[in-house]
Amino acid sequence: MRNAWMVVATREIVVRALNKGFLIGLAVTIAMIGGLIGFTSYMESRTQSFDVAVVAGDESAATALESAADGRGAASASDDRVELTVVRVDDAAAAEAALEDETADAWLSSGAGVTGTDGWTLSGWRDPDSDLAQLIETTVRDQVLAGHASDAGTTMSALTAGSEVETERLDGNPVDPQIVFMAGFVLAFLFFIGAVGSGAMIAGSVIEEKQSRLVEIIATAVPLRQLLAGKIIGSSAIALGQNLLLAGVGLVGVSFTDLSAILPAMTATMVWFVVFFTVGFVAVAALYAVAGSLASRTEDLQYTTSPLMMLLMGVYIVTFSADGVLERVLSYIPPASIVSMPVRVLNGDALWWEPLVSLLVLVAATVGAVLLSERAYRGALMQTGGRVTWRTAMAGERGTTLGA
Amino acid sequence: MSDLEVRDLTRVFVSGGTPRRAVDGAGFTASSGLLTGFVGSNGAGKTTTMRMIMGVLAITSGEVLFDGAPVTRQDRREFGYMPEERGLYPKQPVLDQLVYLARLRGIAASAARREVLEHLDRLGLADRAKEHVEKLSLGNQQRVQIVAAVMGQPKALVLDEPFSGLDPAAVDAMVDLLREHTRRGVPVLFSSHQLDLVERLCERLVILGGGRVLANGSPDELRAQGVTRHRLILSGDAGFVRGVPGVLAVDVDGPSALVEVRDDGAATRLLSAALERGAVHEFSPVRPTLAQIYREMTAQAGAEPQAHADEETV
Repeated sequence: MRNAWMVVATREIVVRALNKGFLIGLAVTIAMIGGLIGFTSYMESRTQSFDVAVVAGDESAATALESAADGRGAASASDDRVELTVVRVDDAAAAEAALEDETADAWLSSGAGVTGTDGWTLSGWRDPDSDLAQLIETTVRDQVLAGHASDAGTTMSALTAGSEVETERLDGNPVDPQIVFMAGFVLAFLFFIGAVGSGAMIAGSVIEEKQSRLVEIIATAVPLRQLLAGKIIGSSAIALGQNLLLAGVGLVGVSFTDLSAILPAMTATMVWFVVFFTVGFVAVAALYAVAGSLASRTEDLQYTTSPLMMLLMGVYIVTFSADGVLERVLSYIPPASIVSMPVRVLNGDALWWEPLVSLLVLVAATVGAVLLSERAYRGALMQTGGRVTWRTAMAGERGTTLGA
Repeated sequence: MSDLEVRDLTRVFVSGGTPRRAVDGAGFTASSGLLTGFVGSNGAGKTTTMRMIMGVLAITSGEVLFDGAPVTRQDRREFGYMPEERGLYPKQPVLDQLVYLARLRGIAASAARREVLEHLDRLGLADRAKEHVEKLSLGNQQRVQIVAAVMGQPKALVLDEPFSGLDPAAVDAMVDLLREHTRRGVPVLFSSHQLDLVERLCERLVILGGGRVLANGSPDELRAQGVTRHRLILSGDAGFVRGVPGVLAVDVDGPSALVEVRDDGAATRLLSAALERGAVHEFSPVRPTLAQIYREMTAQAGAEPQAHADEETV
């Protein structure tokens, strides 16, 4: 029967799609992605507001605060979205009282006349907020420098002329390294839960058939090779669908945030990731099928799947933190390349041909893994009475005259 | 005629470096249209033989023939098989998984559905079709399993312990079902521990011990191989039978004696002696039951050292 694998694959998909655990896991993952995007977007758009006290008559301080509040003198701090409100109080005692009853977050004074020290002071009941301190520091420095400049018969702009340093990335990539790191983390996570989740499902479905000897009935009806192919294709289809769904949710979510400017770069990355993952998952599924066939009972699965689990966990940990040369190397080594290459595409580090070469390496590795797995699966599946090792599975008589 | 024949079938397991012959040159035929019972003690090699017939276990030497030719993959696809350990997908509805198994055997989805429903109806499971298998009782799971084996008009049936765990009514229903298939000319081979059942049902019987076929034939033929004893009931005491030449007294109890007649003249001598002493109420042959024959045969086979414990360790 040529199309037996289709019957098998259809069953795998239907059974999985109706599995409550699978659906709940998927819903939780979608919620997590949504939450992550929501949190990022909140952090991006968050505005902090402060009330800063100034004593009547301290005109320098009042001017500095007003210009800071207008955002005029503090170009460098404008990213932080700090909002200032000036609270005018009568004297130092009133300022301290305002700090104490929290009607003011800080108190700015411009010199010796008020606090007894020579220079500017930003006081707070506790240490003033660092964003606020930075904003005021910058504003005050600009204001004082402007004063000195005018005393010296020149202007600020004359003094600072030609001193700006602009940054420029030669690769022209606009993506913030922090976003790249975040994306690397998300891809590594998607890879890990996709591979382990679907892998465990396929191992479970193999041992279910082996333990119940149902596989003996199936084996007399269809070649084991077709059974394995159906399982791999079925669970790969599920894993692909799951990742498309998650990637879609992620990209739609991103489009509502400030990150939407880099949506094209992210979309390219996601497409590469989905392609890499789909190819790589075929190998993962095949290896998990072997892990299932090596067990003799469901309880054995945690032993037989643990080497795979370690591998995937290792990939997860190494890939999301890798950068530089390590990342470049990993982007060619399956299965790490499934995560590392798309991340390199995102940070603009990969030349156009690099993902293609890495994909070829992945395809070759997958073909190898599937051929190896097919042999081990057939060797182990009919062996009952205890766990089977890879070695005996490979040396096994391939079970049966049914063979392929 | 499409007999299922096993010829000189041998399976050697190597465990711990020592080879062990689980099945040792077994040969027999499950004839077309007949129920053939396959009996033997635990570890006699029944399951191993059946797995080799179905091709789920490699054959060390010997062959399996169907319809006179070596069995092919296509033949086996059309055999109905019930493995030793019962199992189905516990979390899938009965109907869905039977249809799935039927489709794997190449039956179209709609035809599979129709046939499955028909069989479930016959076995009284029509209202359980949508239930998960794990919710069914063991007996009902067994019925579902038999449906899996008989779907799609199989060309032969190989059933490992199909009656274990069934109540008498379920046994009868299943026998009716199997008879339907033998009427189509299909050979049915089934293993069982229940000798009385086998004796009642089977046209043919194969007794396996230590991996070898100890006996093979119809129940009557097998019984004829055993020693026939006679029951003698007299009006007086039967103690004298111990002194009659050529007669072995197995058991004497007052006027009744169970004897083994060792030569042709002995019966005449015994009866003459009995009539001299009074009336003879009964002198009748006592045919051995299959269970007796089976016990004698397996006791002989059991004298050979055999390690059966790890039969399933391949």
